[in-house]
Amino acid sequence: MTSNEQGAATAALVRTGLRGAAILAAGLLFSSNAAAGFYNDGKVLLTGGVVTIDGAGGGGITPWATISGYGTRDGINGGLHYTYAYLPNYSLNSYGGTVGFYDRVELSYTRSTLPTGSTFDTVGLVADILPGVVGDTGIQPFNTTIEMDVFGAKVRLFGDAVYTSDSLIPQVAIGGFYKDNKNKELLHTLQAAKAKDWEAYVAITKVYFPISTLVSITGRYTAANQTGLTGFGYKDRTAGGDGGSDKKKELRLEVSIATLVAKNTAFGAEYAQHGDFLDGVGVNLNGLGTAGILSAVADLDLDSLGLVSTKNLEKALTQHEDDWYDLFFAYAPNKRISFVVAYAMLGNITLTPDQHGFYLSTHLTF
Amino acid sequence: MKNKSVIATVLAAGLCSAAAMQSAMAGESKTKPIPGIPSNSLELFGGKQVVHEWAVALFYYIMLDRRINWMFREFGNPERQIFLNTQLETMVLGGPNEYQGASMAAAHADLNINMEQFNAVVEAAYNACERVNIHYWTCNQLIAALAPFTDDIVTR
Ligand code: HEM
Repeated sequence: MTSNEQGAATAALVRTGLRGAAILAAGLLFSSNAAAGFYNDGKVLLTGGVVTIDGAGGGGITPWATISGYGTRDGINGGLHYTYAYLPNYSLNSYGGTVGFYDRVELSYTRSTLPTGSTFDTVGLVADILPGVVGDTGIQPFNTTIEMDVFGAKVRLFGDAVYTSDSLIPQVAIGGFYKDNKNKELLHTLQAAKAKDWEAYVAITKVYFPISTLVSITGRYTAANQTGLTGFGYKDRTAGGDGGSDKKKELRLEVSIATLVAKNTAFGAEYAQHGDFLDGVGVNLNGLGTAGILSAVADLDLDSLGLVSTKNLEKALTQHEDDWYDLFFAYAPNKRISFVVAYAMLGNITLTPDQHGFYLSTHLTF
Repeated sequence: MKNKSVIATVLAAGLCSAAAMQSAMAGESKTKPIPGIPSNSLELFGGKQVVHEWAVALFYYIMLDRRINWMFREFGNPERQIFLNTQLETMVLGGPNEYQGASMAAAHADLNINMEQFNAVVEAAYNACERVNIHYWTCNQLIAALAPFTDDIVTR
């Protein structure tokens, strides 16, 4: 036996009885050092995830089961986030704050503002020049901005996404959002059923260290159109329309996969299934549906003036919705700040196709 | 050390049952991360010699981290722990089980370790990998293989 081995063997024997008291005493001595109030930032880099556009801890568009921030089960940690997505016809700005309590509960608030462009301007223009459209449609010929407040809460039910590497049990959380879209008139025009609604989700997240990969799956129970930016559900609001309506929530699948390439860097992909409440639905300009608008425009006989063509007007007035995808790259130089650069592929958004563009996000944690 | 040996002998002689309990708690066995780590993980790491170098670097970083170094100064013994950690990590990476120390539960039972302190050791482990030039993905094989001890070590 080397002296090391002897030391190890004897120390193993002594361990139980004698040290307990000493450690308790020293523990008390040092605990003031270790526990400075409620504040805690003891998680490992990036394990708190980043922040979604809805404000929840997770990836870019999909909430994870992780509790946002760097707090462990022994404390509280907060964060501020700002996300900017630059799409061909919109730009999304989303900013707010999160607080994680004891790695158990997460509360969040986010304000989204979405300046719109082009086709919204077209609709605004049509609404302005059409005889018979009176009152506020919520869409101007320019600078129409959609705004939404998102309040979120999440509770971790069980599991540890990071350390239970020898078990199949993932980290599981449930959460919800209450979304309050401020543009009621606009949502009437787009024929959404509601401007305010809640969503609920279950998120299942696990890190597989042997393959340096995080996998997260979320089921979201919602009636949102484009995350709620164009309201919730569908309700025919045209005069003389069929009066149809559908605002029943449905379960939608979301997936995030991230590869960890360094202790401070991850890249990955996300998918979020979207609904089709407003897919193929036209607009309503204070009672005038797409068909009515088209015939009213035909009456104006703009085409014959040779100045404008109304050929594509029906297309421009028909809404669409696609599932969302993104590729992201997350970098956390330290526990105070992280950055996400992503390429978001959001497809048809309401009145505009091919909304693919860059997404930048920063998350300050303290 | 001498004092400890004497006390140990007395304890071992006097409290047979305690000694028997202790020996039942001694040792550790290989962990089973999912999906498994590559069978050549130890080789990727550079073999037992590099595991030892890694453990030296680990304690270098641990002893510099004010969140945890006091605990090791008070209750640990870096030299012995480097020796035992080399054995333990060699084993979990796929090498032979030559680990002579206590089980993780027994070794940390009355240290009252919390999650932040555990994570501090994990951060030191990553820093040590970087210091010894072990690829991040290979380092994660070690993290995967040690992670199952979390609940044995974190008692608070
Ligand atoms: C996966 C993480 C860890 C591993 C693999 C590990 C491994 C070990 C090993 C092999 C020993 C020697 C056992 C023996 O003497 O028989 C030990 C002892 C010790 N560990 Fe850890 N440990 C871990 C985490 C921690 C943490 C988070 C702390 C505190 C912050 C800690 C503090 C200590 C101390 C103070 C001792 C000395 C106990 C004694 O001498 O009786 N360990 N650890």
